[in-house]
Amino acid sequence: MTPESLLETAVLLGLFVLAGGGYGGLYSVGRAAGRPALIRAGRACWVGALAIAVVIAAATPLGVGWKLLILVSALVYAVIPPVTWRYLERTHSDEGLRP
Amino acid sequence: MSSEIADTVRAGVGGDLADPVFWRAGAIATTAVMLVILAFLTIDSYRYISVGGLNVPKYDVINQHIGYEFNWSRHAAVPVIGGPEPLFGHKVTEAEAADLILKGKFVIQSRACMDCHTFFGNGAYYGPDLTKSWLDPAWPQIWMPMTGKTTREDAMVEFLMRPDKYPTWDRRMPNLRLTEAEAHAAVAYLKWLSAIDTNGFPANFGQAGK
Amino acid sequence: MYRSQRLSLRYYAAAVTLFGVMIVFGLLSALYYLYPSLLFNVFNFSTSKIMHIDTLVIWLLMAFLGAVYWYLPKELGREVEGMWLAELTFWVFCAVVIVVAAVFIFVQYGPATDFTLWFINQGRKYVEAPRWATIGIVVVMLVFAYNVVATCVKAHRMTGIMWVLALDLIPLVLVYLDAFSYDRNMSTDLYWWWWLVHMWVESTWEVLIGCVMALVLMDVMGTSRRIVETWLYIEVMLVLGAGILGLGHHYFWIGTPQYWLSIGGFFSALEPLPLLGMVIHAVYDAGAHRLKTTNRPAFFWITTEAFLNFIGAGIWGFMMTLPQINLFTHGTQWTVSHGHFAFYGAYVCGVIAVFYVAKQKTSGAAYLDGKAWKWAYGLLNIGMVGMVMGLLLAGMAQAFFGRAIGGSTLMAFTTASENPWFVSGMYARMLFGLMFAAGYVALVYDLVTSPRRIATPALQPEPA
Repeated sequence: MTPESLLETAVLLGLFVLAGGGYGGLYSVGRAAGRPALIRAGRACWVGALAIAVVIAAATPLGVGWKLLILVSALVYAVIPPVTWRYLERTHSDEGLRP
Repeated sequence: MSSEIADTVRAGVGGDLADPVFWRAGAIATTAVMLVILAFLTIDSYRYISVGGLNVPKYDVINQHIGYEFNWSRHAAVPVIGGPEPLFGHKVTEAEAADLILKGKFVIQSRACMDCHTFFGNGAYYGPDLTKSWLDPAWPQIWMPMTGKTTREDAMVEFLMRPDKYPTWDRRMPNLRLTEAEAHAAVAYLKWLSAIDTNGFPANFGQAGK
Repeated sequence: MYRSQRLSLRYYAAAVTLFGVMIVFGLLSALYYLYPSLLFNVFNFSTSKIMHIDTLVIWLLMAFLGAVYWYLPKELGREVEGMWLAELTFWVFCAVVIVVAAVFIFVQYGPATDFTLWFINQGRKYVEAPRWATIGIVVVMLVFAYNVVATCVKAHRMTGIMWVLALDLIPLVLVYLDAFSYDRNMSTDLYWWWWLVHMWVESTWEVLIGCVMALVLMDVMGTSRRIVETWLYIEVMLVLGAGILGLGHHYFWIGTPQYWLSIGGFFSALEPLPLLGMVIHAVYDAGAHRLKTTNRPAFFWITTEAFLNFIGAGIWGFMMTLPQINLFTHGTQWTVSHGHFAFYGAYVCGVIAVFYVAKQKTSGAAYLDGKAWKWAYGLLNIGMVGMVMGLLLAGMAQAFFGRAIGGSTLMAFTTASENPWFVSGMYARMLFGLMFAAGYVALVYDLVTSPRRIATPALQPEPA
């Protein structure tokens, strides 16, 4: 790992999680506030996360195993927000607490 | 209690995701599995980290030369134990070495070295890492001339006893009133520490400018 | 109000006081980086650092104990069993903390003997307190465990949250026993030390604050028990599922076998995923209960906790957790940046929410809001984010110049520490640290003053 690629890789890893989190945050705020534009912005964030994962896989000196792990977790980031949200609605609807 | 177990099993098999009982079973099972794996890994790790194990040498390694070189098959720098090079020019027995290291650890804890320095990168970040400090080129290049000592270990003892007299930059080490015996033990400890295989930490040690 | 809730207020007062002590020594520690000759040979960096990190552990622990003493009678519908013991141990706890602090400040270190470890300083990060004090802390935790379990038994009542809490007390006490250890082999010493540090911070404390947050959510947001317990179990499953072997990210470089690189990297790469789930949960709750909450500060701090936990532990952790990166970042200010952010997000925000719950109850305010808490909220959050940004910059300079280029020697360490990027990062940390301290002052002011237009007296912290 060269000094330059060290910092680049670390920043990409951070941005990757940030973009994944951006999707979760915007999606859920969009849902809670009933604003589809925010949900779309969230999905754009996820596309960003996927793109970053591809860049990490293609252009950093990380090991193959780590690259695979990151690509797979990019896919997991795609499903966490909608699945969690649906699950929340289901558990809360039992209690009559739907917003 | 038995009905609770029955509930747990039913929820686990049925997989009702809105049922707390299902997740309780999941939490207990996951924790138990992880703890069992950790127990096995701990037992196996002891083959490496015990003194005289695969990664941690016996204490009398301080009688030998210690190097740190890149190993291509490991993709990491590893300690290389060389020929005889007794500390302070005096070969010690295994028991004497163990006593010295015991004393050295007392020095390290009683002076809270870890609250300025790091060992294996753990501790505080005000002073440099001490994992491979025995091998630091600063001893021959800076402190041997500065202290007027002819060997690395003598320079280290002198420095550790009066660090405030030999500053290298504005962040100085304070005088922690080490006795000569304590300084000897600390030096022995640092030499032994540098012989531990740390999976290549720190990387490129002393390679700058080579 | 129950007797144990009055004890809880005392614990909160002590915790808030130690929070302040921690900030004072944090600022002092930061100052050494800018003025290295400060108090040289009189009061050295190491002592200031010990005070900073040990008060961190103790104030959070005291706040957790306080929170449990607050909710225990509410949860079980009766006074806590063995209150006189609990009250006695509170004063024992405070006395121990004061004596240890005095010895750290005035004696600092001792000769390389057993005596030093027993009575002055054990010199192991986070558990520097001498052994006699460690015994004191074990006694406090055993009494606490007795209070919890005996109250459950006497009440003939056991809720899901109480089960989790009671079971969590076992590892909480057990791993702390490593605080007595003396081991000449640094590798085995650190192996078990990490059980203590990691299992407390990233496992048992997470579960403990999970229990506290579950109780707070029922209280502040009116969430139903069934939902709260479901989420607590899920959280325990995910936190311990990833966290127990996440221990591996501390076993990269301490002499342990190479397979820990894969195990530690893998499990800590999983850690952001549950944190993201918690963010979504927090947004859902915020949306569902926004209009109903009567305690705005507590509500905001709870919601913030989810976000900052994700950023501090998730993003900051993932940046540096893979072994190939960690080889260069481990033990630099980068670690410090992650540590500050993660502790703040995971614990401090939640604990502040708990303080506000107590404030609302003691002041009898039907609706808690105002200006002062917003100042505290803004200054603390911006101060913390600014600090970790400064530290990140400094850490990147160290990883780049000191580690990757310089090769980690004394000269490399020196060169990196004199680099303008490093120095400006440290100045930024100092400035935002002062902002954080201002936020603390606003927080204390807000906690001790009565809410407007309400006649009943406010929470008055007693001297610790």
